[in-house]
Amino acid sequence: MTAPLIALNGLTKRYGSFTAVDGVTFDVPEGSICGLLGPNGAGKTTTFKCMLGFVKPSAGTIAIAGAPVTPATFESLAYVPERASLYDNLTIADHLALYRRSYKHFDAARADELLALFSLEAKQKARHLSKGMRTAAALVLAFSMRPRVLILDEPSSGLDPIHQRHVLDLMIEAAANGAAVLFSSHQVGQVERAADSVAIMKRGKLIVSSVIDDLKSGEKIIEAVFAGPVPDLGDLARDPRILRTEQTGSLLRVVTRDENDAIAQRIFTLHPKSIRTIDLNLEEIFMNAVSGDQQ
Amino acid sequence: MPTIFTVDPRSGVPLYLQLTEQIKRAIALGTLVPGEQLPTVKALALELTVNPNTVARVYRELERDGVIDTSPGRGSFVSAGPEARRAVADVARSAFEGAVREAKSLGLSREETHELMMRTIARWYEMENK
Repeated sequence: MTAPLIALNGLTKRYGSFTAVDGVTFDVPEGSICGLLGPNGAGKTTTFKCMLGFVKPSAGTIAIAGAPVTPATFESLAYVPERASLYDNLTIADHLALYRRSYKHFDAARADELLALFSLEAKQKARHLSKGMRTAAALVLAFSMRPRVLILDEPSSGLDPIHQRHVLDLMIEAAANGAAVLFSSHQVGQVERAADSVAIMKRGKLIVSSVIDDLKSGEKIIEAVFAGPVPDLGDLARDPRILRTEQTGSLLRVVTRDENDAIAQRIFTLHPKSIRTIDLNLEEIFMNAVSGDQQ
Repeated sequence: MPTIFTVDPRSGVPLYLQLTEQIKRAIALGTLVPGEQLPTVKALALELTVNPNTVARVYRELERDGVIDTSPGRGSFVSAGPEARRAVADVARSAFEGAVREAKSLGLSREETHELMMRTIARWYEMENK
């Protein structure tokens, strides 16, 4: 096995007594897209900055393609920050020329295609671009580098829905060609569509890291209605496969983490009047994760 | 191949299950015929705007079930073997199971469910004979 293109191990960043990133460990292998979700202040951007060497971690390690980050890493790594960094007095064409000189895999023909895709004019100066156009220009630069590793912080901020879809398509194409993509987003639907795995952060900690389809297979709500009050659940209440239970009168709702079929069977032995399993989408799973009491 | 699949990423049903079911259904309906080539993982991922690893997982599972044959360098093809036929029967079976589970969960007795099923069968199969 080759090393995953992106590997974080116990990444920690403290600012005085405040821990912005707390022991974060996850991988993004070749050909994979990982969506990073979390409320504002969860530590997503700090994680990115540590990964890129802009901020020195307090503890833990980062490996890109199996090696620590050095200036040479950036030959095959593209980063698009939430606020695109462009030179205000240069045109988009000037930026492309800079990139062509700086990156040996830079694909000029690809850059032209992408400019057209995002309806950008090469002769426009960066300072005349709207927020969305700046983001688009930064994405054109990043994807034209043909990078093996892409780190995108809110890559669709300010973009219209059609351009947002283009961004997802570009990530999918890059992954299909073997790149590893890590992107943060507040739009859970984008992660659900384009990513195969998800990492959810809350207050600096990684609280979920999983293949999205596996999360959806495991996390369900089992809803049972009884003729009278909900009976005593016995040791089922402490089953580690259960995330949470809620009871109101004759209604029992159980949020499962895993093996929901087996748990439904167990509940069935308590003779409910009716029982059903409700699928949860990623947004609901995300809300369960970040709003729960569990750390 | 024209787009004949529609997946809903916002559903709680895993994407790979949605797509696996749809490909089996397309084979059952004859929209995809034995020997027909499926799009590459990359092409289908881009067509549907879904993750390539998810599509790769679908192809792996279909291959495992004998529904498609994949040969490196040539691509994936709808299998002509009996496994393909059996696998598509799975689609009907799981729909059937879902219906029975729902009836049971609504508190219907075995007899009531059976009665309901027989009436439904009578209705749909008679329509066909008329």
